[in-house]
Amino acid sequence: MKPLLVIGLGNPLMGDEGIGWHVAERLAGDARLPEHVEVICGGTDLLRYAGEMEGRRRVVLIDAIEDGSATGRVRVFDRDFRGLEDHQEHAHHLSVIQAVRLLRLIAPTSFSLLGISISSARCEPALSPSMAARMPAILRQVLENLL
Amino acid sequence: MTTIAIEHLARVEGHGGITVELEGDAVANVRFDVFEGARLLEPLIRGKRYDEVAPILSRICAICSVAHSLTSLKATESAFGVRVSPQTELLRELLYRGESIESHALHLFLLAVPDYLNYPSATALAADKPAAVLLGLRLKKLGNQIQEAIGGRAVHPVNAVPGGFGRVPTLDQLIALRGSLMQGRTDADAVIDLVASLPAADFCHSDTVYAALRSPNLDRYYGGDEVMVVSNRSRAIVRAADYRELTNEKAVPHSHAKHSTFGGNPFMVGALARLTVNPRRLTGRLAVAMKRLKLLLPADNPMDNNKAQALELIDDLDRALESIEQLLRAGLKDERPMPVHPRAGTGTAITEAPRGLLIHSYTYDDEGRVTAADVVTPTALNAASLELHLRRAVEQCAERDEAVISKRLQMIARAYDPCISCSVHLVRKR
Repeated sequence: MKPLLVIGLGNPLMGDEGIGWHVAERLAGDARLPEHVEVICGGTDLLRYAGEMEGRRRVVLIDAIEDGSATGRVRVFDRDFRGLEDHQEHAHHLSVIQAVRLLRLIAPTSFSLLGISISSARCEPALSPSMAARMPAILRQVLENLL
Repeated sequence: MTTIAIEHLARVEGHGGITVELEGDAVANVRFDVFEGARLLEPLIRGKRYDEVAPILSRICAICSVAHSLTSLKATESAFGVRVSPQTELLRELLYRGESIESHALHLFLLAVPDYLNYPSATALAADKPAAVLLGLRLKKLGNQIQEAIGGRAVHPVNAVPGGFGRVPTLDQLIALRGSLMQGRTDADAVIDLVASLPAADFCHSDTVYAALRSPNLDRYYGGDEVMVVSNRSRAIVRAADYRELTNEKAVPHSHAKHSTFGGNPFMVGALARLTVNPRRLTGRLAVAMKRLKLLLPADNPMDNNKAQALELIDDLDRALESIEQLLRAGLKDERPMPVHPRAGTGTAITEAPRGLLIHSYTYDDEGRVTAADVVTPTALNAASLELHLRRAVEQCAERDEAVISKRLQMIARAYDPCISCSVHLVRKR
């Protein structure tokens, strides 16, 4: 089992909201991916991967973030996710912050979140042109955080 | 005019959840505003080849990806006249059970129970009552395990393909699943104990029309193609090919989801509807559990959908185990998918997704490319019924305190277990 697990979250049918998924898909086939890293294209329900997290040293989540920054900006949030909303908004599944708090009950591992700023979430099977143009820089920054 | 808005049900801007308008003490208007992304995805599959459709539509929702994938395959196979093998039917039913276990465990223990016990979230509940949350996580994981073994991965099954399965699970995988399910069954009493201990949620009573897949074999989520609509006064059967009689959709200005009625009446789909339409499922330990939960059918309280999910959860564990025993007894065959020969035509499939009836209907050209598609989700089918129940809850609430009304409305909306956000999942900065 590889010690570092990367999970890209989001729905690839919802435009830039699926950026985490798209990044994971690209990373999985990237020759620069370090040997100690395994990558999963996750959907929108992080709890599904509870079993995959067991025994890992570190789990890195990649998800879209709405923070008013320029599209494609990558920010690192460490284990307490300070500054991010954590209340229960979904009727259907848990927010990523809530899911991580629950996962810590059963998978005592270290979590960090790479938040990628987006400015729109709409039904579209591809990334926006501005996000797609940022993809090489995003991948570079994500890889730097996996070393 | 007083307006109460509950905005935190959806994550897409402008699709805010529930709005109540009061004129004095009278209810002027109640709106449930649902972002129904499945509708917006239909154009994406026009022109796609038949074998591309299910993988795309399974992404409508991470929680219901098995339901969308299998319903899509069933519709495509119906269009091309493909009959899958009995083993494939059993494996698909088992896959469906896995999703149901996972979905009900998530909804009941991590979303609904905190509401009943006045906790703002599952994490807050876990701090005081970790056993309840760990029970939910344990069962959810078991559901995931089934989906991973049969579907090929935890989300968006890749093994299920037109005509059957690309890769049949191994004997070892089935034996391992059997062991996990036998262990999981020991949690059944804890499920019923917990749900029976919850405070009564007695704030909405209304005659309700229910619709569910008719299941003469008592154990079908995937098989079957007749819907029964049950009210206090009548019963009606609608065949899959005639599904538009059931959906009878009407656009409403405040929602992406069209409202569905049958005979002019809103109807409810989901666990409570399934038990109401198929009461013969309720024998043995399910009947005992039903008494403990004080569930009477037909129910007039939408909050009873939570009790029905608890019953289905323990039934799903038994049925999944039975399916595995059947597969092992019959001898697992490493069979290939049935050949698929595209032809022009229309295929419609109805299945029971965890939160209710799910309809996929496609028209193909003679090369097997989609020319028209229609996807009707349980949340869209439930929208009119939910609005009706929200209205009744406000009318039946003696208080006009906004916090009290909001809490009740959120609990009712959650009891319907709606898929509002179409799996949008972004994080917001404070």
